[in-house]
Amino acid sequence: MKLPASLKMASLLVLGIALIIFTSVLSVLYGTKSITYGTVWNAMFHLDPDNIDHMIIITSRIPRVAGALLIGAFLAVSGALMQGMTRNYLASPSIMGISDGSVFAVTLCMIVMPEASSMSMILYSLAGSLLGAALVFGTAKLLPGGTSPVTLAILGTIIGTFLGGVSQALASYFQVSQNISFWYNARLHMMDPALIKLAIPFAIVGLTLGFLMSRPVTMLSLGEETAAGLGMKVALVKSLTMLSVVILTGISVAIAGKIGFIGLIIPHITRYMVGQDYRKIIPFAAFFGALFLAACDLISRFINFPFETPVGVVTALFGVPFFLYLVKTRGGGSA
Amino acid sequence: MSKGIMKHRSKRLNFWLLLLITCVLTLCGIYISLTNGTFDISAKDVIRTLLRIDSNGDHDLVIFDFRLPRIVLGALVGFGLGIAGAVLQGITRNSLADPGIIGIHAAAGAFVVLFMFISAGTMETPGWFSILSMPMFGFLGGLVAVALLYMFARQHGEFNPQQLILVGIALASGFGAVTLYVSLKMDPQNFEAAAVWLAGSVYNATWEQVLSTLPWLIVLIPVIWSRAAVLDLMQLHEVSVKGVGVATGRERQLLLLCAVGLVSACVSVSGSIGFVGLIAPHIARRLIGNSYRYIIPLCGMIGMLMVVICDFIGKTVFAPAELAVGIVISIIGVPYFIYLLFKTRTG
Repeated sequence: MKLPASLKMASLLVLGIALIIFTSVLSVLYGTKSITYGTVWNAMFHLDPDNIDHMIIITSRIPRVAGALLIGAFLAVSGALMQGMTRNYLASPSIMGISDGSVFAVTLCMIVMPEASSMSMILYSLAGSLLGAALVFGTAKLLPGGTSPVTLAILGTIIGTFLGGVSQALASYFQVSQNISFWYNARLHMMDPALIKLAIPFAIVGLTLGFLMSRPVTMLSLGEETAAGLGMKVALVKSLTMLSVVILTGISVAIAGKIGFIGLIIPHITRYMVGQDYRKIIPFAAFFGALFLAACDLISRFINFPFETPVGVVTALFGVPFFLYLVKTRGGGSA
Repeated sequence: MSKGIMKHRSKRLNFWLLLLITCVLTLCGIYISLTNGTFDISAKDVIRTLLRIDSNGDHDLVIFDFRLPRIVLGALVGFGLGIAGAVLQGITRNSLADPGIIGIHAAAGAFVVLFMFISAGTMETPGWFSILSMPMFGFLGGLVAVALLYMFARQHGEFNPQQLILVGIALASGFGAVTLYVSLKMDPQNFEAAAVWLAGSVYNATWEQVLSTLPWLIVLIPVIWSRAAVLDLMQLHEVSVKGVGVATGRERQLLLLCAVGLVSACVSVSGSIGFVGLIAPHIARRLIGNSYRYIIPLCGMIGMLMVVICDFIGKTVFAPAELAVGIVISIIGVPYFIYLLFKTRTG
C-alpha cells in the first residue's frame, strides 16, 4: 500500500522536527564538558550569572546550536536553488566559488578598514559572494558550452582557488593572515550571538525570496524554453534566485566561515525523499540542512575528544563519498 | 616526401631553440634569485663562492644553506611536475588533467602529513631515514588516489574525461579534510611545519630534500621519455592504438605509475604546488606541437622556469613576508588557464 503524498510529507516533517530537537538537546548537553538536564533547565529559566555551567550554556552552547541550524538551512536552500535554476546537479555554493568570493571580500575589508563593525563585515561578505557568483557564471556564459555541469564545476574550483590565492597573498602582505584564517575556517565553536542577531534580517529576506522562488524554479528545472513558454520572465526569476543564493551564502560565510558539501548533498537527499517539486524541496532542504549541520557539529566535538575538529572535516567525511556516488551514477550529464 | 623531412628538421631545430631559450631564461631566473634577496650579493661574489675562490663565511651560509638549495629544489620540483602533467594529460587524453586537480597532490600530501604525525615522536631532527621515506609515503598516497580514480572515473574500461575531473575534485577535498584532521592532532610545532609545507613552498628547502627527490626524477623521467612514442599513439583512438600493436593497458599503467611517482616525490618535499602540471603542457603544446618526444623535455623546462620565477616573485614582492610559491603560481596560472579555455573552445 502506498502512503498518500500529504501523509508522507507530514510524517517527514514531524520526523525532521523531532530529530532536530533531539540533536539540539544533545548538542547543548554534550561537549568538552557534559552538562546535566537540570542545569540546562535552570540556565534557561533561572539564570545565575555566577554559575559557570549556566554561562557555558547561554553564551556558547545555545548560540552554537542556533548557528549550526541556521547555516545548515541557508546553505542547503541556496544549493537547492542553484541546482534547480541551473539544472546542474553539481551546483552548490562551495563548488561554484561563491564562498571564496566572500572570503576574498572579507579579506579586503579587514585590510582596508581593520576596525570595521560586524555589520559591514556582513555587507562585504554579501558583496563578495555576489562577486564570486558573477565571475564564475559570467565566465561560464562567455565560454561556449561553459554551463555544462562539469565545466562549471571546474571553473568554480579554479576561480575559487584564484580568489583564495589572492586573499592569501593580500593577507600575508598586510599581515592579517591570522585573522583571515580565523574567518576562513569553519568556526561554529565560537559563534557570536550578536552576529547571529545582525544576520537575522538578511536571513529572513534571503529565505523568503528563496521560498517565493520555489515555484518558478520548479518551472525552470523543466528547462528554460518550457518555462518561457509558460509565460515566465526567465531573466527576472534567475536574477532573483541568484540574489537569494548570494544573500544566504554571504551571511553563512560571515557567521561561520566556509563549510562545504551541505549545499551539494542535502538538495539531492531531499529530492530523493520528496520528489522533483521545488516547492517541497526548498523547505525540506532547509530542515535537512539544519539537521545535518547540527549533527555534524555534534560529531565534530567527539572525533578528537577533548579537542574540537573543524566541522568541515566532518561534512567532507559524509560529503566526499556522496559526491563520488553522484559522479558514478550520474556521470557528466545534466540534472 | 622531401617537404616532410624539411618540416621534421625545422621542427627539430625549433625544439632545440626553444629548449635553449627556456634554459637561458631559467638561468637568468636562477642568477637573479641567487644575487637578490634580503641582502644582495654581487655576481662576482656569487661566482667566487660557488667556485670556492677565497670564500667568505657569510656568503657561504646565505648561498649554500639558504638560496641554492631552495632554487635547486624549486627547479627540480618544477621539472618533475611539468613532465608529470604532460604524461597525465597524454594518458587520460584530457587537457584539463593536472595532478593537483585530479587529487594526486592532496592524496600524497595527506599521506606525508600522516607520516609526519606518526613519526613525530621518534625523530626530533628529521633524519635521513625520514627524509628519504617521505616520498615513499607520498607515493603510497598517490597510488591510493589512482586506485580511487580507477574505481570511480572509468566507464567501459576508459577514463571518462569529465568524471575524472569530478572525482578528482572530490578526492582533493576529501584528502584535504584528512590532512586538516591529522595536522590538527599534531603538536603546535609540527603543525606549523605542516602548514607551511601544505601551502606549497620551497622556502625551507634543504640539500637532504634535494637528494630525496633527485633519484625519483633520475629514474622516472628517462622511463617516461623512452615511451614518448607510446604517448603519441595514445592520442589516437583506443581501437587504432591497439591495432598498431601497443599494449595500451600495460603501457598506460606504467606511465601512470611513473607520473604518480614524480608527483609524489615533488609533493613530499614542496607541498602542493598546483597548476604547473596543468599549464606547462599547454604552453609546450602551443610552442612545439603534439609530438611527445619534444613536449616532455620542454614541459620540464617550462615547469622549472615557472617555479623558479614564481618563487622569486613570492620571496621578494612582499618581503620581508614570504608568499608560498604555490599561491603565486595559482594567481598567475588561473587567468592564463581561463584564457586557454577560451582559446580552445572558440578556436
